[in-house]
Amino acid sequence: MYAASRRNLKLTSNTPDKKRTVAEINEKIRNGDVQVLTISEMKDLVESSGVEVAFKEVDVVTTGTMGAMCSSGALINVGHADPPIKIDKAWINDVPIPHPGAAVDLYIGATIGSETRGFEYGGGHVIEDLIAGKEVELRATAYGTDCYPRTRVETTLTKDDLNQFILLNFRNGYQRYATAVNGRDEAIYTYMGKLLPNFRNATYSGAGELNPLCNDPDYETIGLGTRIFLGGGTGYIIGEGTQHNPKAALGTIMVKGDAKQMTPEYIRGATFSEYGSTIYIGYGVPIPILNEGIVKKVAIRDEDIPSDIVDYGIPRLNKGTLGTTNYKELKTGRVNVNGKSVKVTSVSSLKHAYKICEELKDWIQEAKFYLTKPVETLPTDTVFKPMKVTTETRFVESLIGEAVTCTEDEDVKAVAKRLVEESVNQAIVVDSANELKGIVTAWDITRSVANGNKRLEDIIVRRVYTARLHEPLETASKRMADHDISALPVVDKGNKVLGILTSDAISRLVGGGATG
Amino acid sequence: MLLRFSRQIVDQPITSQIILEKKTPINILSARMNQLGGEILAEIPGDKAQEVIKAFKSKGVIVDVASLIEKDDDLCIDCGACISLCPMDALGFTEDKSVTLDAKKCNGATCGLCVDACTRRALRLLS
Repeated sequence: MYAASRRNLKLTSNTPDKKRTVAEINEKIRNGDVQVLTISEMKDLVESSGVEVAFKEVDVVTTGTMGAMCSSGALINVGHADPPIKIDKAWINDVPIPHPGAAVDLYIGATIGSETRGFEYGGGHVIEDLIAGKEVELRATAYGTDCYPRTRVETTLTKDDLNQFILLNFRNGYQRYATAVNGRDEAIYTYMGKLLPNFRNATYSGAGELNPLCNDPDYETIGLGTRIFLGGGTGYIIGEGTQHNPKAALGTIMVKGDAKQMTPEYIRGATFSEYGSTIYIGYGVPIPILNEGIVKKVAIRDEDIPSDIVDYGIPRLNKGTLGTTNYKELKTGRVNVNGKSVKVTSVSSLKHAYKICEELKDWIQEAKFYLTKPVETLPTDTVFKPMKVTTETRFVESLIGEAVTCTEDEDVKAVAKRLVEESVNQAIVVDSANELKGIVTAWDITRSVANGNKRLEDIIVRRVYTARLHEPLETASKRMADHDISALPVVDKGNKVLGILTSDAISRLVGGGATG
Repeated sequence: MLLRFSRQIVDQPITSQIILEKKTPINILSARMNQLGGEILAEIPGDKAQEVIKAFKSKGVIVDVASLIEKDDDLCIDCGACISLCPMDALGFTEDKSVTLDAKKCNGATCGLCVDACTRRALRLLS
């Protein structure tokens, strides 16, 4: 069979213009002599035998990825009840389900959390449970109309009871992504996972050289109508995803597929602690090897796919970058951040990405899956704009107050007197260079009097939560609430004290009716 | 082990007293306290564990003793989000990119950094 296919390749494909078409590839699939490699096998072949040989030998390569893809969901049609209901509000397993259409079409959004279990169970888990064949509870209410008189319905459903159960994801499969670190002095919980303080770990997302869009960076073969592996079933790319940003090599896709065919192995609900519910989506794309130019592109290696290192501790849209790494370094498990080697791990599943490449390869070899030529390829010139915000956002700098300071060697009594004179609740302890050393509150002083402590250095709180001048008031006030404190020294990068932000100042702003 | 201090005892130097009395190092992994009480997450050497726990309890501290961490392979999707959090290198990838937990290296609940990082809730503290 293999020898036959080699002859066949010479006859049909190795034409002078070195081109092959999707139709020719499908013909080979039908004949059982298609040459399919996973993307990893193809990269090895190009490396060992060169572009020309790889073009001659291979018709299709299979790419894949599996990661958390929040902008996902499933459209279901639950059929009409008797008497019928025009659903106004609906819940499945206590997860609120938006209802964007007519009477009984519901969209299960992956990120919506349950009203009883919060982030621990969300729309992503509902979709996984339905795909796994589990029974779910639907509850719906309505205002009642002449034609839809019913105002309540409660029932149980499985996927077999649904007329349509379509996975419909408006942004999936980022071409590549940033590497996340945290420069704050507290752990933070993000959509990139849990990030330890002071750059102690890093996380990344994406499959790197296995990612479909990375291997077709000019979107020559991928677009509207591309048939793909989606969640263990077949699906289609239906255009570019939201936030598609081709000029920055940050392409995305929009996909749909029949969820009744899918398996929970590749569609899993998930929870990012203190962030929200989401869903892991596994998808794979076949890339037809139409010419040698495509061979060169699919040969891309992890080291050629950059990822910016971004401090997710900065609560602003533009976080800047701390440097650039690449997927080869990321996959070693250690990455260099600010000159220090730190542990880095993926929040995507590389194991499943490999499995998807293998499974899609099997499907094509067994003629269970044919390729499609897209009706329209993904755009290469769209831009991704930030939000136009017409209301003012307030930052720490707008409410910063002058700090009452003291030094460690001062007498408790002198500091107490200063607090009374300035009528403030805390003094910031600084050194001669105005660098932050601690904080002392009226409460600390009261307690020291009660305990007979006379020396200031014994009562200073040395682990101090701080604020930055250009951070939003919202994050600074959340930090105060989280740690049950009433003020934050505002410091610059060198830990020099610029002033103080107090919860009193924030209360006055809110109480004064100022609009933020 | 997790030490919990009530409002009544939080102003006493209990931890340092026990370090001195028992002549044992106590490694404080994290601590959070104010005048209303607080918690310390600490590691103690295995050979003195029982003695130290008893000493803390006698001073009115509530002690939650280490329990182990268990990984449910059916729930795990092998992403590895837990790996970079583990200070003991107990979590890692096998050759086929499956995530494994080496129970011998794991500090259990004295650490527990990985538990809430698992998006699939495949890591659990065993009580």
